[in-house]
Amino acid sequence: MNIQFTERQLALRDELRAYFATLMTPELVAECERDMGEGGGPLWRDALRQMGRDGWIGVGWPEAWGGRGMTPLEQFIFVEEIMRAGYPFPFLTTESVGPMLAEHGNDWIKRELVPKILMGDLLIAIGYSEPGAGTDLASLKTSAVRDGDDWVINGQKMWTSLAHFCDYTWLAVRTDPNAPKKHRGISMFLVPNTDPGWSCTPVHTLGGVRTNATFYDNIRVSNDHLVGELHGGWKLITGQLNRERLSLINFGPVSQLFNQVVRWAGRAQLAAGGRVIDQPWVQQNLGRCRALIECMKLIVYKQSWAMTEGVLEMADASAAKVYGSEGFIEIYRMLGEIVGQAGLVRAGCAQTTAEAGKLERLYRTASIITFGGGANEIQRDIISAAGLWMPRASR
Amino acid sequence: MEFGFSQEQQEVRELARKILSEQVSAASLAAYDEFRSPRFDTALWQQLLSAGLPAVALEQRYGGMGFGFMELALFIEEVGRSIAPLPAIAHCVAAMLPIQQFGSEAMKEAILPAAATGELLLTAALAEHLNDDPAEPHTLTASADGDGLVLSGSKTAVPFAAQAGRILLAARTADGVAVVLLDPAAAGVTLTPLQVTTFEPQCEVTLASVRVAAADIITGADGSRIMRWIAERSIAATCAHQLGAADCAMRMAASYTSERKQFEVPVATFQAVGHRMADCYIDVECLRLATYQAVSLLGSDVGATTEVQIAKIWAGDTGHRVSYATQHVHGGTGIDRDYPLWRYCLWLRHNEMTLGCSAAHVARLGRRLAAGEALFS
Repeated sequence: MNIQFTERQLALRDELRAYFATLMTPELVAECERDMGEGGGPLWRDALRQMGRDGWIGVGWPEAWGGRGMTPLEQFIFVEEIMRAGYPFPFLTTESVGPMLAEHGNDWIKRELVPKILMGDLLIAIGYSEPGAGTDLASLKTSAVRDGDDWVINGQKMWTSLAHFCDYTWLAVRTDPNAPKKHRGISMFLVPNTDPGWSCTPVHTLGGVRTNATFYDNIRVSNDHLVGELHGGWKLITGQLNRERLSLINFGPVSQLFNQVVRWAGRAQLAAGGRVIDQPWVQQNLGRCRALIECMKLIVYKQSWAMTEGVLEMADASAAKVYGSEGFIEIYRMLGEIVGQAGLVRAGCAQTTAEAGKLERLYRTASIITFGGGANEIQRDIISAAGLWMPRASR
Repeated sequence: MEFGFSQEQQEVRELARKILSEQVSAASLAAYDEFRSPRFDTALWQQLLSAGLPAVALEQRYGGMGFGFMELALFIEEVGRSIAPLPAIAHCVAAMLPIQQFGSEAMKEAILPAAATGELLLTAALAEHLNDDPAEPHTLTASADGDGLVLSGSKTAVPFAAQAGRILLAARTADGVAVVLLDPAAAGVTLTPLQVTTFEPQCEVTLASVRVAAADIITGADGSRIMRWIAERSIAATCAHQLGAADCAMRMAASYTSERKQFEVPVATFQAVGHRMADCYIDVECLRLATYQAVSLLGSDVGATTEVQIAKIWAGDTGHRVSYATQHVHGGTGIDRDYPLWRYCLWLRHNEMTLGCSAAHVARLGRRLAAGEALFS
């Protein structure tokens, strides 16, 4: 037990901070702001390719894949630092779907697609939810039907985030409508978003972030596009979601925001005189946030370590997701109280500050991950069953 | 970064768990309820001393095992898991460690081998009335008397004061803080027993012009630094004890609700129950990580003020929430004195309030942030 970074890991962190300080040009920052922290713009894409060429996207991947052969902990340091730098990193592609493709993909996928992910040339959206299938995901209806050597895909997905600029969708479809248990009749496909039968319409959300409804109209793909075993999609979905749950909790940006608010409150003078930070309630909020974020950090460090050692527990991945998603909301509230009225003013307005503008927007986006990536109620079911061996109600 | 335990650490933990689970039971603990006898299982203490566990962090030349603070904290976590009636934190962490670290060679030779065998029980007085900072004593003062000191004033909530042969304590002097080893049998010392919530034997210790010889003085003026060192380790050890106790209470509730049926199904199958237990799981995990981090940094002698404060905030919050959640999901059984949970709830409260509650540590952390300290790197 030794919860400290090694000298080499600290050096890597410093190297990444310097790298991102150069990469994040004012033009790129402005484009990312415009795209609501989602990415997808031309400068964003160029920067992603640059990171791929510079060997960063796969820093923790084996060299055989084009990675640098370091461990998941170094991969985690990279993702924390890039998020801290304010670059909307497509972690769903690189950190959750990518590793599933490397593990379960066929030769074509491993040869043609996975290396492109590490080069920053390929982006993948996730197609699970449907109008009638959310938390009860296994009731999904989008289908793939065999036709000669090909598959023909029809259906509709909801909340297909980033799909409007992704190259493929990691799509969950029903391949066996007669399976005795509905989750046993599901398979995973990679569907090209460039297919004429593929279309999407935007869904605009409270936070200003765009997501999509996507439509699959007689899309014909070869058997190469099937990932893993036929009817064996459920375990790929749960495997991907476990990884996604970990990637959702980044303490890099929140620790950065915390430091910014502390520094602001140490400078800002109250109208009546005295520093904002000298008010006891402000110190109380800051102390509470500091303790909360510290455990967020420890939880994700431990999970990166557990991934390196191959001892990741399902209950702990769910615990990280619940703690992190609900913790973010608490932190944004407590920091928002400190910046006060300025936290109600949109970013970019001359009357607000960078951190207050962020908090205005974070209030509007923070709820997404309490239900996205698997509702927290389901995560708590998993924790009590897998972590405490408590029986679950049958559904 | 390493979250696993070394072979030695696992062995220490398993040995402690084996002895404690064999020797401590609801029946054995019942002997001390309501102050029937002083809550100190001397036979169990001797068995643990023979196994080397209380002296696990003591150098071998004094009769210890020569391991570090992490190994000691793992032993204390197991004491918490069993809520065994033992002076583990007082003897091993608050007194033995600082004597090894700061005592003169003569003091170490006089005290430590006897402490390792159990011949001499040690404790420390870290609390004063309405003073939550062990490093800044106010109610006990010392003045020079030749090469010795004369102490007057009081300390409160001193664990095992009536059982101990020496009490480590700090007193305010004209030019700083003195730290000394007090013989509770010395002339002018009065021990007044306190009836505390856990039934742990504690006393208020009053000193009326008590003379302490030079040989028993650890420092005459530099005591704040030493007391801060002791307080941080005692807090981290209290967090480890809390972790063991909270983990055990949580697992007791998980088993009970898995067996207990209502409406013909185990009550664990109700989401409202399962989710409350899931929240306990997250709280306990946070306490675990924050505690191990603080212990690991202290064990490496790295500055850990922030990490210790955060661990204690979690010890308070987790203790409070796990106590009431586990009582609640047990229904009346949780508070029935024929069922083992209630004693755990007392210890969760004890550890929550000892050496600074959550609110006090949040306030300290907030003050340090206002002074530009404790930001994220």
